[in-house]
Amino acid sequence: MEEKYELAKWLAGEMTEAELQAFQNTPDYATYVKIADYSSQLKAPDFDSDLLYQNTLSKAQKEPKVIPLYQSKWMKIAAVFVVLLGLTFFVKTTSTSTEIAENGKKTSFALPDHSQIVLNSGSEIEYKKWNWDNNRTLHLKGEAYFKVAHGKKFEVSTQLGTVTVLGTQFNVKARDNRFDVTCYEGRVKVVHNNHEVIITKGTSVTFDADTFEQQTVQNTKPEWTVNQIVFKKEKLQRILNELQRQYNCEIVLNANENLQLFSGTLPADNLKTALQIVSSTYHLKISKFETTKVILEDF
Amino acid sequence: MEHTDSNGICEELVFSRFFKANVKSLRNYLYFKFGNEEKANDITQESFIKLWENCKNVPLEKAKSYIYTIANNASLNEIAHQKVVLKYAQSQTQKDRTNLNPEFLIEEEQFKQKLEKAIDSLTEAQRTAFLLHRIEGKKYHEIAVILDISVKAVEKRIHGALITLRTEIEQFK
Repeated sequence: MEEKYELAKWLAGEMTEAELQAFQNTPDYATYVKIADYSSQLKAPDFDSDLLYQNTLSKAQKEPKVIPLYQSKWMKIAAVFVVLLGLTFFVKTTSTSTEIAENGKKTSFALPDHSQIVLNSGSEIEYKKWNWDNNRTLHLKGEAYFKVAHGKKFEVSTQLGTVTVLGTQFNVKARDNRFDVTCYEGRVKVVHNNHEVIITKGTSVTFDADTFEQQTVQNTKPEWTVNQIVFKKEKLQRILNELQRQYNCEIVLNANENLQLFSGTLPADNLKTALQIVSSTYHLKISKFETTKVILEDF
Repeated sequence: MEHTDSNGICEELVFSRFFKANVKSLRNYLYFKFGNEEKANDITQESFIKLWENCKNVPLEKAKSYIYTIANNASLNEIAHQKVVLKYAQSQTQKDRTNLNPEFLIEEEQFKQKLEKAIDSLTEAQRTAFLLHRIEGKKYHEIAVILDISVKAVEKRIHGALITLRTEIEQFK
């Protein structure tokens, strides 16, 4: 049932004749009449409405009513942030990103399309993040292992040649005039000077000065990613260069030139063992062994 | 009030008329609500300033509910309630009664004091609605607009206020 607020009706004078008569017969009626009577004589404290009006007009900022954005301190700060953010974004996307693995270190990182790259010690990669999906070109100095996500043409350019793929796994090594490319999956096109070769899964190709050689490989990824250094018919000086990069140390060779080529595997996490293998192969002795400097001499 | 000005509330004459017609109700409403003159005056002024600043966006027929909305919004954070101090006006009936016998006058004076005390024991909602009706002479539907509640809810508050007042006054006897 709907609630009836009779007292409210009475106070507003909305009671019917019958209701009013019934109400007048209740004992509380007299008090209610008094309440209504005296409460209507009440008044609130006075106030100066003219003063309030003057204040209203003087405090209101009538013109200009539209407060320009730049007049707000916070908008200024916000604007600076937006500009800075925009600039940062612009610089980040259009500028060249560089990834470096210093001597003795390896770096792995992902490209914007989630292609994975592992950089071997003493190597550097430069690329542009801007519009990467349509222009997958990067510049490599040194050696790196690529797991390329499927997509458009992916190009690795080095000083010695260019490698073009369409989503595979491969290793590129471009050092001291020797250009090695090994393909672990898919197909890779290698261009060296005017020479163009397409190699498939499990093959590697080597350009060294004027020679060109193609071999098969068993591994599914480069040995150096599991701390092994594999050499195939490599010169002594280049082996030592590689060790210097891997261990970030200086190796001095005080010996007669030895043109014997080395094929084999050296550890990338134990300098002493690596040096012992090299010195026994080339009949050298380790005359000084420190973590930052090694001297090898004729035995 | 009749306003035909195209500029509506932006016309200072129109604004001034609107101000005079509504300032007392708004200010007293806020006073009944807070029991604090300063706060009531401040919020009243603030509401009219906002109206004046936004006059272009507020049609005259909406101006009244606009100032009450502004005032109610400004009041949201204000909770402190002090005693509502009210005075009895020298009403016409009183003047007629000045010649009545002193006993009656004393009794009348006592009742007035009891009523004031009783009003103090009302809830804020009851007090505001009751005083708007009794002092400002607002109709229930006007009070409903001011408080942004239904007419039924206003009646409930008035009804409750009257019961509380009567029981309080009878207790003092």
